[in-house]
Amino acid sequence: MKKYVLYPGCVMPTEQYAYEMSIREVLPLLNIKLVDLEGFSCCGEPIKSVNQMLSLALSARNIALAEKEGLDIFAPCPMCHLALSESKRILDSELGMNEKINKFLADEGLSYTGKVDIVNTLDLLHDIVGVDKIKELVKKPLKELKVATHYGCHLIRPSEIGRPDDSENPQKMEKILEAIGAKPLDYPEKLDCCGGLLTANLPDSALTKTGQKLQKVQEQGFDAFIDICPWCHRQYDSKQTKAGEIVAAKLEVPVFYLTQLLGISFGISKDKLGLDLNLSPVDKLNLGGK
Amino acid sequence: MGIVDLTSMGESQVKLRSEINERLSRLKDEISDYCFQCGKCTSGCEAHKLLELEPHKIVALLKQGLIDEMVNSDVIWTCMSCFKCRERCPQKVAPVEILFALKNMAVASGKQIPGNYTAMLQSVLSIGLLQDVKSVTTRDNKTISRSDLNLPKVSKPTDPTKFQMMLSKLAVEKV
Repeated sequence: MKKYVLYPGCVMPTEQYAYEMSIREVLPLLNIKLVDLEGFSCCGEPIKSVNQMLSLALSARNIALAEKEGLDIFAPCPMCHLALSESKRILDSELGMNEKINKFLADEGLSYTGKVDIVNTLDLLHDIVGVDKIKELVKKPLKELKVATHYGCHLIRPSEIGRPDDSENPQKMEKILEAIGAKPLDYPEKLDCCGGLLTANLPDSALTKTGQKLQKVQEQGFDAFIDICPWCHRQYDSKQTKAGEIVAAKLEVPVFYLTQLLGISFGISKDKLGLDLNLSPVDKLNLGGK
Repeated sequence: MGIVDLTSMGESQVKLRSEINERLSRLKDEISDYCFQCGKCTSGCEAHKLLELEPHKIVALLKQGLIDEMVNSDVIWTCMSCFKCRERCPQKVAPVEILFALKNMAVASGKQIPGNYTAMLQSVLSIGLLQDVKSVTTRDNKTISRSDLNLPKVSKPTDPTKFQMMLSKLAVEKV
């Protein structure tokens, strides 16, 4: 059994509960133990536009907290995963910055040494657990469910920092979905952005991006849309109705977190996976059962 | 310790101004030198069609010295940070990073921060997170809280005073 510190970030633990619930249900079945830790803060990435230094220091502080436990970090949010990875990269390669940041951390009795790894849901499932192990646990295969995947920009770019999948042709979600019986299909808009980061200053433009992508997915006859990022899911699922209004389309695309779909195929009950919290019409697929 | 300290970095405006100018001339002379205006960044830009962001033009304008104009322009705030330009630039210019720098400078020079960024910053300062725990609505319109779902307490800085102290020290540092 491999142990990780769960770094929850902000959006998942304050409103995107379905992601957290499904993670906490699914990962233990795959021999991953999650350790909760007090004291974490925002990773800083969402306010990088305001102050990059702040972003770097916040991430370093969060890594330092996990280092104290001597455990690797599991960051389910792609934005957090990027912020932590980038901070690690800078602190590991720039001695001056490392010393500077460590001076700030010392006030809280923390220090960054760079000895822990940072993983996301995608590499944890695909690279560490592995598709074969996932296959073994499937009780209710998702018979030929035609699914469109959405990785989220921060999960695959910039590749220079080291991301869990390829920047132009990511396939790990597809591999995982095939293992549970679904049928992922390619589509031209796969790499389009959800617009979520514009919510801070241009919320209608953010929803236009969301609506435009969902409209294309709907037109192409997909059964479901699968994401893995709490920011993207907030756009595609929580705000789907609003996004539809903005692009003047009636959107009815069932949206799931990848971990929710895994849970369904493992026979975990809907309640435990937070399926009631999905606001998109997930009922029309008749998956799972009570 | 407030938003102003954090965004103005606690520096006097004159000193700050020269600091910013130095950063910007680096952008102008070093980074944009490599750009040969192939337009690959703009062709893939997520904000291009919708909001008319043209990363290659921003790099060209910086090169021409139109720095203040860029810092004060609203267009720098249309970037969605999808990182496609950074990924695809054959010269590793990374317009998205230039935009982050321009936005940071706009904020540091006292220009008003657009939209909800102020509230987000304020929240990080006071509770360590972008927002506090929310109640959510289910598909059949029931209101549910985090504790109803048997999820553990949210992880936040345990000593807010010490946490804020670290942030305020940071504020005195340069951008």
